[in-house]
Amino acid sequence: MLVLRRKVGQVIQINDDIRIIIQDVQNEHIVRIGIEAPPEIPVHRLEIYNLIQEENKSAGSAGALNWLKGASRDDSSKNEFDDS
Amino acid sequence: MTAVKTNSMTAESVATNEAFHFPQGLAGFSDATEFGFIYEGHGDIVCLQSIDQPEAAFLITAWDEERLGPHPTLPKEQCNCIKAQNQEDVMWMLVLNPFADSSWVTANLKAPIALNLQEKLGLQCIRPDPTLDIRYHWMKQPDSK
Repeated sequence: MLVLRRKVGQVIQINDDIRIIIQDVQNEHIVRIGIEAPPEIPVHRLEIYNLIQEENKSAGSAGALNWLKGASRDDSSKNEFDDS
Repeated sequence: MTAVKTNSMTAESVATNEAFHFPQGLAGFSDATEFGFIYEGHGDIVCLQSIDQPEAAFLITAWDEERLGPHPTLPKEQCNCIKAQNQEDVMWMLVLNPFADSSWVTANLKAPIALNLQEKLGLQCIRPDPTLDIRYHWMKQPDSK
């Protein structure tokens, strides 16, 4: 891992289009940073991103379309029953 | 129309001219950027099927203001990402998870989908608010009593 020392107001440049700006250091523990990046680059807090990633994998990778087809078949069989 | 091999091992037809572009992909599926919609006739639930990654398919449904209150506000940077001029350009959808709970289909309130129907652009809006439920009980499983 690359480790850099920066003061408040100083900037880290990544590629041509990403900038990380040190805004403020509070209580020696919390650092406020600003991030400038193109809109197609998602920027998130890691712990929240990991949560959403796990939930997406649970929701989206285990036969969602099969589930929907099964639920639709249940609907149509109930409708047939209702009509009779 | 284009044939997409889906996770259900069948070829589904998705109209490529109806495909939505997700510039950021979805968390965990960042390479899946082109999606089509497949409707199977179950209420207002549709399948958001990746065209480039067959294993990426999500059930989504519209944000329900009666149950959840007003829809979120999309931050300006994210409005730019889907070329939304204002909040009225944004349609909000929820990602459903039918696999996490045997009795309930859950909805992810922490990361809804924002769509710009005119531009056919979308993104998953990850919201840092710790009070938002990631597995909100949305509806009973169809076969549960």
